[in-house]
Amino acid sequence: MIGLWVFREKLKGFYARFDVFINPLIRFVFGLVVFHMLNGNLGAMARLNNGLVEVMMALVCSVLPYGVMVFLAGILLLAHVSSISLEMAIILLVLLLFILILYFGLQPRDSYLLLLTPIFFHLKIPYAIPILVGLSCGLSSAVTVCCGVMLFYVMQYIKQNMGTLSGDSTLGIAEQLMQIIRTLLSNRLMVVMMATCAVGILVVYLIRRLPVNFSWAIAIVAGALTQIGAIFIGDFLFDVSVPMPQLLAGLILSMALAAVYHFFVFAVDYTRTEYVQFEDDDYYYYVKAVPKIAVSLPDIKVQRFNDRRRGDDFDE
Amino acid sequence: MLNEEKIKLMTSIAIFEKAEGSNLSLVKRYFKSDYISRNLLRAFLGYTFCWILGLVLAVVCKIEDILSIVTLEDVVFPFVDYGVWYLLGLIVYLAVTFAVCYRRYRYASRGMKVYTARLKRLQRRYEFQDRARERGKGGQKP
Repeated sequence: MIGLWVFREKLKGFYARFDVFINPLIRFVFGLVVFHMLNGNLGAMARLNNGLVEVMMALVCSVLPYGVMVFLAGILLLAHVSSISLEMAIILLVLLLFILILYFGLQPRDSYLLLLTPIFFHLKIPYAIPILVGLSCGLSSAVTVCCGVMLFYVMQYIKQNMGTLSGDSTLGIAEQLMQIIRTLLSNRLMVVMMATCAVGILVVYLIRRLPVNFSWAIAIVAGALTQIGAIFIGDFLFDVSVPMPQLLAGLILSMALAAVYHFFVFAVDYTRTEYVQFEDDDYYYYVKAVPKIAVSLPDIKVQRFNDRRRGDDFDE
Repeated sequence: MLNEEKIKLMTSIAIFEKAEGSNLSLVKRYFKSDYISRNLLRAFLGYTFCWILGLVLAVVCKIEDILSIVTLEDVVFPFVDYGVWYLLGLIVYLAVTFAVCYRRYRYASRGMKVYTARLKRLQRRYEFQDRARERGKGGQKP
């Protein structure tokens, strides 16, 4: 275990030293993953479905805020979808404008979650997002995560129905629009997953703020159990089927990810908790102080001795 | 000679500025009422724009139904329904915007108080240093 603590301290030191380079690198990799996934899943426009375009866009995003990445990803998505179906592109444009104007007008800091959520869903670990968001963000982030879930299922719908959407249809624009909207709104799995994420975030957020020992660990477990419960309720009420092995594997992986996050961000030693009471003119204070775990890095000194073969001058 | 306490104070102020810069500028630039009313206006315009977008989409979807209606009342009635939904949604959205902006401004003004207190402390440090220097010069005079 001590090796892990030392590794954590080294990692912290490394980040503190090179954060000027690490932050743009993280943004670059994140952008590359986002654009590659968009091109890989919906790459209908041949001009944009190109590795060079992905790299160029990721490079731009590496030096700019996450909002720009969301904007570029939205444009890329719309470009691909418009070459599949104009009606679908119109609906997607309206949906994106709704999200951007109504939500990001108020809370622009969470924009990266709009991209991160579909990535986690794509990687089959959707249950990690509510736990991680509940541990690191506020309750309002649940709205962004729900929007991300919606975007993922819209993209999945487009991917699965690419042939139908792009084929010559005898239906008019109005009928096609109605059909698409009806199909999207009747996606019960999307509604259940949105509810699951929202409830998961709420539970994790509320528990991790409780003044009890191991609140973060309890929050992670409770978040996972709540999500299982929500899925079962969704299964019962809306007849939504989620494959059990995938659900369990996703939950275990999500909990492991959350545990890694917990280890790096909130490492405290509850055995050395101090309780202090004092008062001033206005208040009585009951303070619980939990010390952070800090490990000093091993101070290795290497003493070199010149050997005879190399150290000719020494002999002379 | 370096003053360690002053350096610590300046560093903490700089870190605070970096972390809370946007919040501090909010308090510097606007009065509370101005900030909230500005955001409410933006929210009103944004919501209305989105509602119009939604309405256009709904009209396009139901264009055949609308065109097949003969009487004016049947055309107007659904729009009254949409209007009621618009008003209800607008009230809820403005209430949320008000709550968010109010809390944000209150948080920012608390941050501003902390920032001002630290700056005053730094200023006192400078004044104390200046006085000490003047006393030192005075002492050297014959």
